[in-house]
Amino acid sequence: MSKYAQLVTEVREEKYLVEALKEMGYEVEVHPEGAPLGRYYSEQEDKRANIIIRRSQLHGAFGDIGFARQTDGRLVAIVDELDQQCGYGAKWLGRVQQLYKEKQTLATARAKGYILKSREVVETRDGQQVRLQFVVRR
Amino acid sequence: MEQKTITITIDEQGTAAIDLEGFEGRGCEKAFEDFRGGDRVTMERKKPAYYTNQQPEQKKSQR
Repeated sequence: MSKYAQLVTEVREEKYLVEALKEMGYEVEVHPEGAPLGRYYSEQEDKRANIIIRRSQLHGAFGDIGFARQTDGRLVAIVDELDQQCGYGAKWLGRVQQLYKEKQTLATARAKGYILKSREVVETRDGQQVRLQFVVRR
Repeated sequence: MEQKTITITIDEQGTAAIDLEGFEGRGCEKAFEDFRGGDRVTMERKKPAYYTNQQPEQKKSQR
């Protein structure tokens, strides 16, 4: 073995984020220039996002969920505090990141010529892990 | 020769692990960067094989 590393997934590529959200069953709006997130009370701060899931798609949510492009290129989730406590918190976002990372990894591997040898889903105490194994084309 | 494999483990907490096996020298870094995908590295551990075939800098001898 030659190297082991741990990473924090940073969502940067819109394409794989949209694919991940669609796989979770959402219809997604893409706004390259940004669009306002819907408010559910008048005093709520105006927020804009580039990728938006409207609340009609989000069971039990009070507001829309968006992902806004930052100056460093990351797409950061905008989720109302109430919704974070109603099923759209860290666990929901972690699932989005997991799907995003899998899609990005598979696409990158294809583009760079690596061969997918296996894909398995492992149940752990902390939830499901997706394990992808690639080999180098000889 | 040992097969070069890359194992990516992606969890539900927004983190992933990359395990490279059978690589030597610069090939290891290239594969790592291919799969890092712009993510932030929080921990990195190089293993003995990483240093295999890394040529030590040659001392210039003056005569």
